[in-house]
Amino acid sequence: MQHEQINKPFFLWAHLNKLRWLSLIFVFSVLILLPFLHLYQTYVAAHAYDLLTPDQKGIYDTMEWLTSPLTDNPETDLNQLKGTTWSGTIFGLKLSDPLALVGQLAAGLSIYWPLVLAALIPAVATMIFGRFFCGWICPASLIYELNETLAGWLRRVGVPLGDRKFDRRTKYLVLGSGVIISVFLGSVAFAAVYPPAIVGREIYYAIAQGGFGAGAVFFLLTILFDLMVARRGFCRYLCPGGALYSLLGRYRLFRIKRIVETCNDCRKCNVVCEFNLDPMHDDFGQECNNCTACIAVCPTDALTFTVSIKDSPFLGPGHLGHEYRHVSHEAEHETAAAS
Amino acid sequence: MKRRSFLKSVTGSALATCLPVQVSASATSLRYLRPPGALEESEFLSRCIRCGQCGEACPNRCIKYFGTENGLTSLDTPYIIPREKACILCMKCGEVCPTGAIKEIKHKAADILNKVDMGQARVDENICLSYQGKTCGVCYRACPLQDVAIRVGMLEQPHVSPACVGCGLCERSCIQIPQAIRIIPRKSVS
Repeated sequence: MQHEQINKPFFLWAHLNKLRWLSLIFVFSVLILLPFLHLYQTYVAAHAYDLLTPDQKGIYDTMEWLTSPLTDNPETDLNQLKGTTWSGTIFGLKLSDPLALVGQLAAGLSIYWPLVLAALIPAVATMIFGRFFCGWICPASLIYELNETLAGWLRRVGVPLGDRKFDRRTKYLVLGSGVIISVFLGSVAFAAVYPPAIVGREIYYAIAQGGFGAGAVFFLLTILFDLMVARRGFCRYLCPGGALYSLLGRYRLFRIKRIVETCNDCRKCNVVCEFNLDPMHDDFGQECNNCTACIAVCPTDALTFTVSIKDSPFLGPGHLGHEYRHVSHEAEHETAAAS
Repeated sequence: MKRRSFLKSVTGSALATCLPVQVSASATSLRYLRPPGALEESEFLSRCIRCGQCGEACPNRCIKYFGTENGLTSLDTPYIIPREKACILCMKCGEVCPTGAIKEIKHKAADILNKVDMGQARVDENICLSYQGKTCGVCYRACPLQDVAIRVGMLEQPHVSPACVGCGLCERSCIQIPQAIRIIPRKSVS
């Protein structure tokens, strides 16, 4: 009995997926809120409430209502929160996407230390938690996952959609060629093709700069690619940021592990995995983003977190599964026959 | 750097034949300014990670972002069209810039005069009202660095001094159409 108790995963792990959705929605909402706060700041700075249009007054009043409990001086205090997930400022702390650093190093062929420091915290977090950005923060992921849900509904009513498989290693090629292109152009090429950077920027453009920019078209194309060609295609096969995070998170400390004693080989984890990994055969690899969707879906609570820098090798079929019982029965028969 | 410029010219010409959109900015005739404190153009492009924070920090909302109209290399980079909305030299964009593409410069007259170089104002005496005998002086009054960057003589005729940092507030405020004073962007930009 005690043995089974040890193998029971901590109750919270099964709920992390809900928390993850909250986190994605929260990040996305903040990205929408920030441009409005910026507009509000400029209205405050202009000292001309009476000259605002009704729409602008609406923004002013809403933002004032939101921020007045927190600050009496919005014009300067709201500078504490700026930017996007690509690069931002949170209470004086500058944070940048490690991919921004890689792109800048390649384009400039020089090191700017403040940017290295800004990318350090996300990079170290990625080394500990793996590719968690992709599942927990990335504003594009939210849209891609909703897109995948939409695709599921469309499939159910019989709309033919693409489900092609490519080589997952393609994205490392994208990362490498992005670096080379950045060196040649002397310009950070990743910024134009990296969905989270595009989404953050385009939300800002749409709200505060009077309309979407060129990146919105590219992002729309990636959504169509996911829908028509390959499920979650961009994240799985093409995203240079995902590639960088996978490399950084190769020896992550926190990883998901299958408990072979309670696994029943139902394959639900494999089906639900956004990145097409193989949890049922203990194959998480460097590309797992610890999204915990597999833990949440597991009917026998056979998936849990562990602290280790490597996946365990394949532990064999789950002990509650048909295959394992079949094999063990045969073994019993054999031993019975031998004696 | 030499090797890179060679590679650049080779791949640039190769790309130019393949791509419908131009890669480099050299062919366009856009007159725009970079935000105050921006590095020299090629260095600026290699530093800027297109995060959009300078625009978000700008209280005057004068910073805008390029689409493809200035070439692919300046996609999503910040620019200012002074006639539409000029820089008020608050220096907040440099404060927030994570890569130093826009240098951090203190919001003090001496620092601004020494370190900011967006361009130089130039007066077209054929259009300027003051040179046509009608006392105006609007550009002088709009200048944040009055009597240093711009002085007025008889009939409020403006005289721009080399100390002008090119913020564009004079061009923005000029009451003539077309404007009689305009910022000539520093050489590396145009």
